[in-house]
Amino acid sequence: MAKKDTIKALQRREIDEESIELLLGSFNSLGEIASATLNDLVELGFENEAAEGLMSKVKGRSSPRSSAPKVKKAAKEEKPPVQMSMVNKTRKLSDMEEHLQTMAEELELEIPLKIIVDIASRVKDADLPEAKLQEIIRSAERMFAAHKMDSNESAGIVAAQSIGEPGTQMTMRTFHYAGVAEINVTLGLPRLIEIVDARRVPSTPMMEVLLLPPASDEEQFARRVASEIEMTTLIDIAAIETDITNMRLRIIPDVRKMDQKAIPLEDVYERLNKLRPAKGLVQMGDYDIVVQSDEPSYRKLQLISDAIKNAKIKGIDGIRRAIIRRRGADGWVIFTEGSNLKEVLNVPMVDRSRTVTNSIQEIFEVLGIEAARNSIIKEAHHTLSEQGLNVDIRHIMLVADLMTNDGDVRAIGRHGISGKKSSVLARAAFEITSAHLLHAAIVGEVDNLDGVAENIIVGQPVTLGTGAVKLVYTPKGRKE
Amino acid sequence: MMRGVSKRIGSIKFSCVSPEETRKMSATKIITADTYDDDGFPIDMGLMDPHLGVIEPGLRCKTCGHKVDECPGHFGHIDLAMPVIHVGFIKDIKRLLQATCRSCGRVLLTEDQIDVYKSTVESVGEQGGGTIDFKLLTKETSKDASARPICPHCAAEQLKITLDKPTTFREDGHKLTPKEVRERLERIPDKDLMPLGIDPQTCRPEWMILTALSVPPVTVRPSITLDSGDRSEDDLTHKMVDVLRINQRLRENRDAGAPQLIVEDLWELLQYHVTTYFDNQTSGIPPARHRSGRPLKTLVQRLKGKEGRFRSNLSGKRVNFSARTVVSPDPMLSINEVGVPVAAARELTVPVHVNEHNIEVMRAMVASGPEPEGDYRPGVNYVIRSDGRKIRVTDRNAETVAEALEVDYTIERQLMDGDIVLFNRQPSLHRMSMMAHRVRVMDGKTFRLNLCVCPPYNADFDGDEMNLHVLQSDEARAEARIMMQVQENILSPRYGGPIIGSIHDHVTGVFYLTHRNPRFDREETLNILSKFQSRQVPEPIVEDGVEYWTGKMLFSLVLPSDFRATFKSSICQSCDHCKKEDCVYDAYVKIRQGKLLTGTLDSKAVGNSKGKILDRIARDYGSTRARQFIDQVTKLALGAIMNRGFTTGIDDEDIPDEAKLQIAEFNKTSIEKVSRLVGSFREGTLDQMPGRSLEETLEVEVMKVLGQARDEAGRIAGKHLGLENSAVVMAKSGARGSMLNLSQMAGCVGQQAVRGERLSRGYWDRTLPHFEKGDLGAEARGFVSNSYKSGLNATEFFFHSMGGREGLVDTAVRTSRSGYMQRRLISAMEDLKMMSDGTVRNTADTIIEFKYGEDGIDPARAIQGRAIDLEDVFVETLGDDAEMLTRVEEAPSGEDYATKEKDEMEFYEEAEGTEELDFGGDE
Repeated sequence: MAKKDTIKALQRREIDEESIELLLGSFNSLGEIASATLNDLVELGFENEAAEGLMSKVKGRSSPRSSAPKVKKAAKEEKPPVQMSMVNKTRKLSDMEEHLQTMAEELELEIPLKIIVDIASRVKDADLPEAKLQEIIRSAERMFAAHKMDSNESAGIVAAQSIGEPGTQMTMRTFHYAGVAEINVTLGLPRLIEIVDARRVPSTPMMEVLLLPPASDEEQFARRVASEIEMTTLIDIAAIETDITNMRLRIIPDVRKMDQKAIPLEDVYERLNKLRPAKGLVQMGDYDIVVQSDEPSYRKLQLISDAIKNAKIKGIDGIRRAIIRRRGADGWVIFTEGSNLKEVLNVPMVDRSRTVTNSIQEIFEVLGIEAARNSIIKEAHHTLSEQGLNVDIRHIMLVADLMTNDGDVRAIGRHGISGKKSSVLARAAFEITSAHLLHAAIVGEVDNLDGVAENIIVGQPVTLGTGAVKLVYTPKGRKE
Repeated sequence: MMRGVSKRIGSIKFSCVSPEETRKMSATKIITADTYDDDGFPIDMGLMDPHLGVIEPGLRCKTCGHKVDECPGHFGHIDLAMPVIHVGFIKDIKRLLQATCRSCGRVLLTEDQIDVYKSTVESVGEQGGGTIDFKLLTKETSKDASARPICPHCAAEQLKITLDKPTTFREDGHKLTPKEVRERLERIPDKDLMPLGIDPQTCRPEWMILTALSVPPVTVRPSITLDSGDRSEDDLTHKMVDVLRINQRLRENRDAGAPQLIVEDLWELLQYHVTTYFDNQTSGIPPARHRSGRPLKTLVQRLKGKEGRFRSNLSGKRVNFSARTVVSPDPMLSINEVGVPVAAARELTVPVHVNEHNIEVMRAMVASGPEPEGDYRPGVNYVIRSDGRKIRVTDRNAETVAEALEVDYTIERQLMDGDIVLFNRQPSLHRMSMMAHRVRVMDGKTFRLNLCVCPPYNADFDGDEMNLHVLQSDEARAEARIMMQVQENILSPRYGGPIIGSIHDHVTGVFYLTHRNPRFDREETLNILSKFQSRQVPEPIVEDGVEYWTGKMLFSLVLPSDFRATFKSSICQSCDHCKKEDCVYDAYVKIRQGKLLTGTLDSKAVGNSKGKILDRIARDYGSTRARQFIDQVTKLALGAIMNRGFTTGIDDEDIPDEAKLQIAEFNKTSIEKVSRLVGSFREGTLDQMPGRSLEETLEVEVMKVLGQARDEAGRIAGKHLGLENSAVVMAKSGARGSMLNLSQMAGCVGQQAVRGERLSRGYWDRTLPHFEKGDLGAEARGFVSNSYKSGLNATEFFFHSMGGREGLVDTAVRTSRSGYMQRRLISAMEDLKMMSDGTVRNTADTIIEFKYGEDGIDPARAIQGRAIDLEDVFVETLGDDAEMLTRVEEAPSGEDYATKEKDEMEFYEEAEGTEELDFGGDE
């Protein structure tokens, strides 16, 4: 952190300038100050109480991007242990499922629950004797075991090829979202690339907002929720006239549109009055609002006009459009162009458990890494199957698991996984060759030749598949 | 031949070379910029000094005494008159200068802070941090250190150090010479380098400022002799010449006490040459150029990029024992085989070790020379003696070489039938792009392959070439046979279904053989069956004294005797109520005890990617049985289709005049409807769709109307195109083409689209000058009401080309984009491996998945993604009682994500499908 930044940060913490100067005499950054002890500060010439106050101010809002050593310090501070508990989301098993499950356990067979549930749904009405059921379970287990993947299989390469190969067969266009012709979505190859790139914002962010009962059944309510969500700017609901002679702006509301969005004129007034350039200049008329410039400057007038035009009157940032549609059992559903999961979940009558966005980063920030992983799987699988391409979901799972492996959504590529490989040679062979080699030289890096690319480079068998087996047969010399 | 296990390289350590080491490992010091003297001999202590290695055959290296190819080459060195900065390390040098004291050389951190950083480094190491984590950490450390204005060790005030790209350092505006920089770096104590991320054992910072420059061996930069006798030197040699010249001048000027200004200029020039010697694309300086104006390819350029050393020579290697030629089809080959032309077979060899058991055979083989007469027999091209000497076998010396053959010799035998080879077609997008085949030596000049293996290679025969590699060791052959053979790759790991199966005419053939169970008399039956041998003709059915065989009977011959399956074929009409066995379309396939009872077999049964029978045989009866099945079905299908005869032509799209009239009529009304819509749009009476502008609403409405027009035309045409029509048979059975293609040929081509919208670009407010400005009608915006058969008029043809062009551009863009995506995916995932405990880990032993795919099932063995097939379980345990639990799979309806509304949207996608050229081959 540069010195300037540190000063700013301290000022933000309401520490007076004198103390700041004192502090900077011996500390370089906010983190250092935060990690200093009370005694350190007292030595610097602070009063005991003042020092304590300072400490609490500095630590109270420790900088969010503190570096590694600081994090370690912070961890040492005692915190009440966080209570962790898992919500059990599995449904209760039916009698038959329960029965088969215990049977499998008794027979000491390892069968996934999914198969047991499938079998149960088939046999529940058949009234089969116990022995037959046992036989079925046994046979299912045998087939399950036979279909397992062999060890040493290069699962990663197979997955990468399985996802990459159909890429050549995909289209490159944006499509209209199925069911809602008004919304465009990126599909096909560009979307797939976007997903593996882990872009912050997708090129066409979109949400599907599911609603809770009153709103999901009644169009009126749904429309109301939609208008809560959709971002409305002043220009959407009113005309703005610039009156140059009197140096003022007249805002003439479109009554029909305002009714539609359920915005009273007072709200508009209040909103505008909070806007920085127009603060205190807004006057409420009977049918209109007038903004009187306080300076006889056209520039100022223009500035106010621009600010007002795009002033948010209602709704959520980033949601450009919200459209309601009836969809089967879900009832009324709001489809939005633009995405802001965090805010939308706070809107009343929104079903928080089923509302989704196609922005993986947002899901990660709001719901966590597991949700992000599932979202990657869902989005990638949908993108592929929508194009009529059949890819086993296990491949996509592997990609998603790799991307989310260290608790952060990492891209597939130079800035993500490939750039973080442990092998110098593998990194050099991928991209930015010379930089990696030179850096390896000054650090004295050692390449242990564990991976695939490295071993190919030095010309020896890789450690996957048949290359992973270290068993060697040495024929004995024949004795005559 | 190499035997046993060779040694493995355990690890590779990277480090910097110190100037002392540079000099120590140098074979000679280079002082003159000249390379050869007037007689064409290399000058001693010149750039081509014979101590640096040999490139000319016959000469011996003066350092090691070996000949060409044996001498690896030796480094030389240039003593630089003045030190010069290494550009590659410029960022690190800057970091070090900023983070250390200008007077005492200590890092600008207090001892406590150094300890903190040290312990952090340790803890990051313990938590499994990689080099990149350390890099970020040290970056931060340096940043913290450089922010301190006063040295905590000697209290010296620090000045601001800036870098003038590419290689000039300034301290508060004063230039720092490389010499001064070097002095500062020398002062940094070893113990302070650790927190700054530098290992003093491998790289002292002052080594980043060069005082001696290594000269690469001549083998690295060979000079070529042109036909004219002139020598052409390598780019690196040229660059070294520049360095030497300036170095010489700099030394002379400095020693002569020339003015400071001149010395400095020369110093800078030397810096420029050394910089471009390392990286000729350094930003901020003009690249050094060859006399012809071409920028020189110096060290960094040699390494990086697609054509660089790493990607081109290290990650991919050139091989011997390979061949490439055009491919052509041969349905009589097994899918496991490849036809190799004699000319190629004579060149490609397999090494055979001679032992006491085979010596006589080998001797005879050698004696027959490199080209035995008569029918093709493998000859021998080389005999390798036990001491490693290689003897070329010619017609003349064949007899004598054969006489001299001893145990422990190795002979290089030419290809013969049954040899295992690898066969490959680029782009190698998945592992099925390279499979092992068995050789069949044939006449002709092309590689021959069975048509069923076209899909995995994505090959066609419009001039495609493919590569063939001959395996050279027993291990490789065993591995290829067990894992890479075509029959082992029938099931694709991508989706757990067959990727190899009947295509095109084979599907049609099977369709004709089984649809509505045709009867064949003895002659026809024998004709059909004659294509595959070793099968008994089944007992005929005798009816009224006439014996006959049915198609279903004949097909049952190729099924395993206990085979059982139930499914719906692709001609299934998806009736509301399925009549099962009594299906009027003969679409309900039922196979019991290896007998086809009802139903038509088509692409859903034996086709690639969908074939259910194929799928099941490959999974339950093993790969050998599956190969046999595919081979036999191919032959049976060809017999069936040849018995009947099959062709399609332009008259398959003939429809009655009245239908044509109907279509024309409907098109006319649709076009009128569009103009009415445009009219109401102009008048402003068009109802605006919510959330859409008026223009967009119009477009949506118009597209809807025109989409209906095309569909209606297709429907009318379809009424007159029944299963007696060859083109329809192909479309319905899934052999080739679709009903959409047909309706475009017979009915109406439909709306052309670019970017999913009607055509609009071209002239001002119109697509072509043939129309009025602002015309939004159907014809003016790319609606083609003619069919391909009736022919397109001029404007329609133009619009159609516009749509077609978009498809082509799309394909071109797509291949590069998806290629890069795949490269990134592979690079990120190549290290992942299934461990024996069921976890998936990378080679650094980080667990990526605790259980592969959440159930540990191999996608290639899964049944359409499901772990097991319950049907099989029930049949196995309950026998025929399984009927009652049977559920015939329904075609997966688009239930996920997009629901019913998808139907409404269909017309969009179909309109977009119009310009999809469905002809695969786009060489």
